[in-house]
Amino acid sequence: MSDPHDWAPSTPSAPDQHPSREHVLAGLKATDEGGADLVQLLTPEGERVADPRFDQFATDLDSAALQGLYRDMVLVRRFDREGNALQRQGQLGIWVPLLGQEAAQIGAGRALQPQDMAFPSYREHGVAWTRGIDPTELLGIFRGTDHGAWDPKDARFHLYTIVIGNQCLNATGYAMGQRFESKVGEGPEAEATICFFGDGATSQGDVHEGFVWAAVYDAPVVFYFQNNQWAISEPTERQTRVPLYKRAAGYGFPGIRVDGNDVLACLAVTRWALEECRTGNGPVLVEAFTYRMDAHTTSDDPTRYRLADELELWKLKDPIERVRVNLVREHGIGQEFFSGVQAESDALAARFREYCVNMPPPAPDRMFSQVYAEGSTTVDAQRQEYLAYHESFESHGSPAVGGGR
Amino acid sequence: MRREFAMPDVGEGLTEAEVLTWHVARGDTVTVNQIIVEIETAKAAVELPCPFAGTVGELLAEPGQTVAVGAPIIVIETAEAGAPAAPSVAPGGAGADEEVGAKIGETGKDGRIATLVGYGPRPGSVQRRPRRSATSGAHRSGAVNGAPRGAASPAVDHPRDVATSPVAHVPLAKPPVRKLAKDLGVDLREVSGSGPGGVITRDDVEAHVTAPTAPGPVVAAPSAGGVRREPIRGVRKATAAAMVSSAFTAPHVTEFLAVDVTETMALRDRLRADREYAEVKLTPLAFVAKAVCLAARRTPEVNASWDDAAAEIVYYDRVQLGIAAATPRGLIVPKVRDADMLTLRELAVALGELTATARSGRTPPADLMGGTFTVTNVGVFGVDTGTPILNPGEAAILAVGAIKPTPWVVDGQLAVRTVCQLALSFDHRLVDGEQGSRFLADVGALLTDPGLALTW
Amino acid sequence: MAVLTMAKALNDGLRAAMERDPKVLVMGEDVGKLGGVFRVTDGLQKDFGEQRVLDTPLAESGIIGTAVGLAIRGFRPVCEIQFDGFVFPGYDQIVSQLAKLHFRSQGKVRMPVVVRIPFGGGIGAVEHHSESPEALFAHVAGLKVVACSNPVDAYWMIQQAISCDDPIIFFEPKRRYWEKAEVDLDATPLPLFASRVARAGSTLTLAGYGPVLRTCLEAATAGEADGHDLEVIDLRTLSPLDLGPVVDSVRRTGRLVVVAEAPSESSVAAEVAARVQELCFHSLEAPVIRVSGFDTPYPPSKCEEDYLPDLDRVLDAVDRSLAW
Repeated sequence: MSDPHDWAPSTPSAPDQHPSREHVLAGLKATDEGGADLVQLLTPEGERVADPRFDQFATDLDSAALQGLYRDMVLVRRFDREGNALQRQGQLGIWVPLLGQEAAQIGAGRALQPQDMAFPSYREHGVAWTRGIDPTELLGIFRGTDHGAWDPKDARFHLYTIVIGNQCLNATGYAMGQRFESKVGEGPEAEATICFFGDGATSQGDVHEGFVWAAVYDAPVVFYFQNNQWAISEPTERQTRVPLYKRAAGYGFPGIRVDGNDVLACLAVTRWALEECRTGNGPVLVEAFTYRMDAHTTSDDPTRYRLADELELWKLKDPIERVRVNLVREHGIGQEFFSGVQAESDALAARFREYCVNMPPPAPDRMFSQVYAEGSTTVDAQRQEYLAYHESFESHGSPAVGGGR
Repeated sequence: MRREFAMPDVGEGLTEAEVLTWHVARGDTVTVNQIIVEIETAKAAVELPCPFAGTVGELLAEPGQTVAVGAPIIVIETAEAGAPAAPSVAPGGAGADEEVGAKIGETGKDGRIATLVGYGPRPGSVQRRPRRSATSGAHRSGAVNGAPRGAASPAVDHPRDVATSPVAHVPLAKPPVRKLAKDLGVDLREVSGSGPGGVITRDDVEAHVTAPTAPGPVVAAPSAGGVRREPIRGVRKATAAAMVSSAFTAPHVTEFLAVDVTETMALRDRLRADREYAEVKLTPLAFVAKAVCLAARRTPEVNASWDDAAAEIVYYDRVQLGIAAATPRGLIVPKVRDADMLTLRELAVALGELTATARSGRTPPADLMGGTFTVTNVGVFGVDTGTPILNPGEAAILAVGAIKPTPWVVDGQLAVRTVCQLALSFDHRLVDGEQGSRFLADVGALLTDPGLALTW
Repeated sequence: MAVLTMAKALNDGLRAAMERDPKVLVMGEDVGKLGGVFRVTDGLQKDFGEQRVLDTPLAESGIIGTAVGLAIRGFRPVCEIQFDGFVFPGYDQIVSQLAKLHFRSQGKVRMPVVVRIPFGGGIGAVEHHSESPEALFAHVAGLKVVACSNPVDAYWMIQQAISCDDPIIFFEPKRRYWEKAEVDLDATPLPLFASRVARAGSTLTLAGYGPVLRTCLEAATAGEADGHDLEVIDLRTLSPLDLGPVVDSVRRTGRLVVVAEAPSESSVAAEVAARVQELCFHSLEAPVIRVSGFDTPYPPSKCEEDYLPDLDRVLDAVDRSLAW
């Protein structure tokens, strides 16, 4: 089969240049197994392979660094699984699992400099981890006690954005600001922005507009999307004909596809992309080609729309397992290390669980707080009225206290 | 200790789930997050991990059984005794609250049904949560336009028998009229509206208040403030008897007239400045008394009485003018003798003495007898008008309302004039409408233009 | 007769409409194979094919915008917006095109498009999944806005909405999707743009729609203990409003409490209050009181019981009204 994406601009008399659905599917999946279009430094079998272009961004990744990345991924996966269980046990309203996307997130997150800014979607628990946000700080969103506990400006990690694609414009604007303030250029002070989204989001107008703005203003923003193959129940071919990273060309900036289950490749490629942006060559589009191994959220049931053998196939490309194999085979790391990480992850999960079940419910007037920077007489009046109403009951506390929902 | 695990909502608002397969049996040892059961909801089939470590005590649902979200499905006997270890699953979320909260499925202290830990539509409560004492709402100010907040059930203060006629419409009235009716204790359903489409006006409410109401047994509702009982005697008893007798013997007719008394009041001001009136308290009532005497001369029927026994009407030459006075003993009506013979100044002096004596309670009984006509000054109470009840044996009574600035049309222009309302009740047996109306109009004319008195 | 959840009643209604008219399309995110995140379109793609049940790309503006084009071409698209808070990327197309094309074309172009939106809170969801944006649509001339509250209405209203030649924003109370009721599939339904007395009473009138209707009915039951005989009206149509039954009721009771989850300022409840005040001024024993969400963003779900009007807040308003 010829490369399905090599078609030429069609002439009016050549309707057969139009790609068939099979062509599209084949093209989208062609790089599943790696290949020229897919940057990969670590094979699914755990073999470190050379890449003439990106090896230079991975020279410092020795055994210790690799162990660190392994630890990151194991810990993140462990609390992600605990989040799922807590939802099933009624302790969380919902959980958004990242299972399978640990490498894509840890790789990108560890490429960031402290001064860089990240705009997540809502599945970026791994990136949050790399920004120093404790996993317990994520719980409020899913337990329903807050909309995000961290300070986005201090952590340089924006709040989770749930409306699909919104954050691409916000990230672009932030990056424009970095440029307007002359933070783009050589030197340790240079900054860049990274924006996370998914394959589904690429259909949204906001993402398109983000690309346009970033291109027009040379914004130092890395558009980093994790193509996990599924937008809830819709496979990537419901969003596109061409591999998504190729869209960048149309906007006039580079696009690249990286093996999203390869933490080394994700780290190296993101370092490169951020470096491009910091030095004024942004924006850049990165497609981390990965797989959502769990449901979209705990409310979803993927057995309704995808086949189990697809999952089995991707299990062979597990992002953590390949690092473990590499550590054992190429760095001689013994069981003691892995057992230690396992114990650490169990302790983290226990702490995560304990924190979760003991989270106090918000005060009854929480919702009236911080609606405006300068207050509002309407909201103030409603707060007073509601508190008086609340006080008028014999049993104290909001209905949510003690009695459950 | 015994711990129950309730069916969680595993997906955005589900209300129930079917148990498919148990992966554990009674007596099995389980660990935290061990998969214990597979369930199927309207949205998905999912496996549930166990929230506790321990031994399975009981399975509370059979495979195939549909279980409501929030209902317990399994009992786990855990190792802890007494207080649960921190990483526990508590109904309602916070583990610390578990022991004080209600058990799953039961109604808690707050009146809510404690349900699932998880999230989902909570079963609707059909009970109110108990409130603190009714007055506690008093500090809830302002939000609704000064509405009474948290007051005790108003049904206690104003029984509303809305059930009597399920299709009856609410009486039509503007909110300020409703407030007036409420302040005056008037039930609008007893008032007929004179406005367009039967809308009850302010006048309708006021007229209703002063209208004679049929006597009937009135039993005050017990009120929180207690009651005071006093024997009916003395002036009160006499007044009551007289009023009842009058109201049931003499067919009353009441007519109303609003009068521009600006000129009279101007005259009063001029006279007050006069040395002759220096020591005299010249009240508007004196002018009314003078006008009554003058008018009665033109309409002798109002200065008369109905002698039922003799089957005669008695016309009086002189006017024995009764002045209704509120005193500590009750309502009394001392008389100004031969009032028609007195000048304005003399009337004023007589009225002053008479009211002073009455208020001090020293009015001799003889002064209360033998009246022929009565004036009652309801205006001193700030009231615009009323429908007076005849003093027994008399043919007419005039009520004088409050004198106050009022918009008034003068020569086609709106002006502010000093206006007073007159209400004349008369015994229709001996006074016809024509005579009553003429008398009232005469009094009004004299008060409007005191100079007319020269021509009579 | 069939016992149906609201989700299934909507599903059956959609199916009936699609069987009746081959021009009826269902389109949205995950409406095909998955059957929608609330399963309202479950099985429709299997039975009607991918040409009539479209799993669209993930873009609300695209869903509405292409539905407008399909309608111009003669189709009757039924769009699903996955959650209330996701409608806003499509709001431009709704306001600028969908609402105005009939007027702009002087009636030459009709817009028989239904936009289904699961709305309201009470399911413990994360941000943007619990909002009540109906006023933002009721305020737009050219749109009609309805809200169902129970399986019976859901079954009929969705079919009536699809057969209407005007664009309809169809609000579905998501926390009531799984409540069941007996649905008489052979009944003669109430017209779409009509409100209805859901419970007769004489003390005071409660008016609500969508998710709070059940709250109102529960409040009416609980209010019996306080000696109240509350009338409950399901507004059903928010634009145009059908205030006839409300006015009739208020003329008997003299008191009105309007209940809704949406914030109160400039809301549908505010419109009802204003209109009833105009139409029933002489009958009102008390000001019309609103019980609603607050004028804050929808709070984190652990606060939502404080935010949402519940039985106690409704009865508190009843007390306040009766205290006048």
